[in-house]
Amino acid sequence: MAGRRVLITGVAGPIGAALAARLARDPGVERVIGVDTRPLEAGLAERIDLIAADLRAPDLGDRVAGSGADVVVHNDVLQLPETGRPSSALHDLNVIGTLQLLTACAALGDLAAFVVRGSAAIYGAEASAPAFWAEDDARRFPMRTRFQRDVGELEDLVAGFARRNPRVTCTVLRMQPIVGLGADTPVGRWLNTPVAAPTVLGFDPRVQLLDSGDAVGALRAATLRPVTGAVNVGSTDVVVLSRVLRAAHRRALPVAGPVWNTVVGTARRVARQPPLPPEVERWLRHGRAVDITRMRTELGFEPARTSIEAAKGAAA
Amino acid sequence: MSVHEDSWGFDPGYARRAAPLLGVLYDHYWRVTASGAADVPATGPVMLVANHAGPLPWDAVLVAAALQRAGQPRRPRLLVPDSAFERPWLSIAARRLGGVPDTPENAERLLAEGHLVCVFPEGARGARKPYDRRYRLESFGPGEFAEIALRTAATIVPTAVVGSEESYPRLGSVPGLGRALGAISLPRRVPNPLAAVPLPARWRIDFGAPLIASGHDPHRAADRTTVLELSDMVRDRLQQAVYDTLVKRERAF
Repeated sequence: MAGRRVLITGVAGPIGAALAARLARDPGVERVIGVDTRPLEAGLAERIDLIAADLRAPDLGDRVAGSGADVVVHNDVLQLPETGRPSSALHDLNVIGTLQLLTACAALGDLAAFVVRGSAAIYGAEASAPAFWAEDDARRFPMRTRFQRDVGELEDLVAGFARRNPRVTCTVLRMQPIVGLGADTPVGRWLNTPVAAPTVLGFDPRVQLLDSGDAVGALRAATLRPVTGAVNVGSTDVVVLSRVLRAAHRRALPVAGPVWNTVVGTARRVARQPPLPPEVERWLRHGRAVDITRMRTELGFEPARTSIEAAKGAAA
Repeated sequence: MSVHEDSWGFDPGYARRAAPLLGVLYDHYWRVTASGAADVPATGPVMLVANHAGPLPWDAVLVAAALQRAGQPRRPRLLVPDSAFERPWLSIAARRLGGVPDTPENAERLLAEGHLVCVFPEGARGARKPYDRRYRLESFGPGEFAEIALRTAATIVPTAVVGSEESYPRLGSVPGLGRALGAISLPRRVPNPLAAVPLPARWRIDFGAPLIASGHDPHRAADRTTVLELSDMVRDRLQQAVYDTLVKRERAF
């Protein structure tokens, strides 16, 4: 398909902007359209068209339909509330926003692919988990946190859309914790805690990270070569948490599990640091690694950086 | 640069550091005799199927030590009950010693990667057996291990472990003690207050002849009759091997 027209939501964020910039340079892409309420950087604003709208705006449908996009990249999935907004607003953005976007997409006659930046948080972090989660293993355990439930609902919406619109290839990229590139992510916040990063006393799980550059790369790969269904995205190595901290030259501050939320929550408030979402505590306890076979074979994407390199880069 | 954990979290250096202490227990406390360890294949997927007893997995630790002494280059990976991974420190120790959460996917993936995996098909049932039923194998359940062995074309080695039952004689049970002591297989009840101190029984570990399950193909793994037949056959062999080993040991203490 020559001359794709790609619409990217959340285009003013670091990952959306990097993706838009890369796609705008791609000869196979005719036009990049961004959707965001925030202003764009000057360099990017010249190269792409911006629809300055919120995903929940009533006129979103008309404006998206007018764009004539044939690939929609839904990148505006948030794990952290914007500063000054309650965490309950996340559900509104993630689920209601996605629903609105999908409704708008159903009216796009040329739409061939819908790509979502999802999250491997859908698997949770569990003691008795498969050591490498496969795409079919979601929902084996109760959904324990708000974000996990939101991601689950979001995937349900996308699956429903895919069922009703068989002509559209729907891809959900389940990304492992993203760090680096100025992206404000839960694990990025944790890693850059001043003085020492809190860990859970007596736990040192296996984890797998994703460099934000590779998150952009995976989104680009899915845009140019969409595959049907969920695809796990993570770096090629699975490492132990203590090694991540050593690589990033960060000290660990072990906090006992039962008082973790109280102690870390208070400490962050006192130090005027943004809070950590509840997923982080479970992740620090049990970790998570995913099977990336589908990413390599079907999506044809190979991450450039390992978890260790991603951690080093993010802590710099 | 030191050797790092592999992607399963197994730490080769950790087991090596524990070896001197374990050697004393192996030679002088439990006086372990092992036979057939040299015949365990050094490459390819191998499943050690062993009988299990005791609230702490000393049987797995001693099996690993016996293999290491016989020159086996690999350390057996263990399927550890989930409860271990929920406890502080125990979760780290289990992981570093080669333990993974006890799920069929994990067993299958380990074998598919060509690891040596030690399984206790009796599971917690083995640990819960009273003393007068010692060395009588409990049910192997639905024979999941056989299904996985068929699917991954793994060599099965029936491994008879004798000594574990006398080390932890289950004479009665104390509710709640297991949790307090951090025992792995019994979350609530533990045989006796000596659980923290296993008795110095004489151990004997006998690795049986490697058993190559015939007709490895995924279709056979889906067939319940084949799976249960293999499971029963392995169970019979292991039971016989346990009795033979028990006779060979002569004295328990």
